[in-house]
Amino acid sequence: MVQFNLPKNSKILKGNYFKDETGSSNIKVVHVYRWDPEKNENPREDTFEVDLNTCGNKVLDILNKIKSDLDSSLAFRKSCAHGVCGSCAMNVDGVNTLSCMKSHKEIKGELRIFPLPHLKVIKDLVADLSTLYKQYESIEPWLKTTELKSQTSEINQSKENRDKLDGLYECIMCACCSTSCPSYWWNGDKYLGPAVLLQAYRWISDSRDEEKKERLKMVADKLKLYRCHTIMNCTSSCPKGLNPAKAIASIKKMLVSS
Amino acid sequence: MKVNQNPLSPHLQIYRWQISSLLSITHRISGVINLLALILIFFWLIFLSSGENNYESFLLIFNSFFGKFILISFSWSMSFHILSGIRHLFWDFGYGFEIKTANISGVIVIFLSLVLTIVFWLFARGFI
Repeated sequence: MVQFNLPKNSKILKGNYFKDETGSSNIKVVHVYRWDPEKNENPREDTFEVDLNTCGNKVLDILNKIKSDLDSSLAFRKSCAHGVCGSCAMNVDGVNTLSCMKSHKEIKGELRIFPLPHLKVIKDLVADLSTLYKQYESIEPWLKTTELKSQTSEINQSKENRDKLDGLYECIMCACCSTSCPSYWWNGDKYLGPAVLLQAYRWISDSRDEEKKERLKMVADKLKLYRCHTIMNCTSSCPKGLNPAKAIASIKKMLVSS
Repeated sequence: MKVNQNPLSPHLQIYRWQISSLLSITHRISGVINLLALILIFFWLIFLSSGENNYESFLLIFNSFFGKFILISFSWSMSFHILSGIRHLFWDFGYGFEIKTANISGVIVIFLSLVLTIVFWLFARGFI
């Protein structure tokens, strides 16, 4: 049975308030989800008054500023800060996105930051994606060819066939789409989710791959694939502008016509 | 160090509704409502076959304000579900997946479902 409410230990309590001490006139009020694994407490929502005059344009800049100036115990993942690595995926202002790509100037009023939805929280904004990685592994995301062929010569790909991978290969597996999907929330252990299905489709569409049929057979499952009900939260959240909903529909279409 | 069971990050509580997700859940709910409407139609048939007096009392309920509200809601729910279903068929053929297209088609479905309901009642009441 689907549980719509948060479990008792996950209810968010009111947290600490960090008042601005710089006296700046350009203040943004930022609420951040916090949970400390070392304390036996419920998660809380801390509020920070951030001086925007000395802060960069992106949401990640705000988080960096909070960590360096206001509360150094804040935990969040980040790496490249250019929308390439996918580490800083989180829920900003109600929609999943990469905090390094999202400008806080687009967000009017107070800013709310949560970890990616419906995941086990490890600390603050860091959530556990191990199930997703296991599912990614299960689709065997590598080129499969007969050994002889790949060892003796290069496998050429025509320009048209290469074009088929556009809109798929750009995926950085940030998990914004999968964790925005209500179907994935309720059936995340069985349904593969948009990110993994887009990856599956990336290998299905690769002209060099020789196991297209087996790959299709593998995902053709009531729960793995058909839990997608075209809710489209995935596509509207993708920070790279890709279209997982379309990729999933393409797999379904291939299964009907093959 | 105390060991705590890790909490679950908030989901439905914090995720912003999109046109697409709102219409998706409305499609499901209207499907359930249509089932109730179908049951009502069967009751209507039962009352119809059980004699004039019983049917009179049935009519009394459905000529009231509340009854009319229920019937109009049912016809809207049916209109919405059919149109939204057509939208889903387009998706099944692989069309209309761009966010902009999906949002526009969603708004069109809402608008047409209202138009269809109005046309249906004008037709039913003999105005057209």
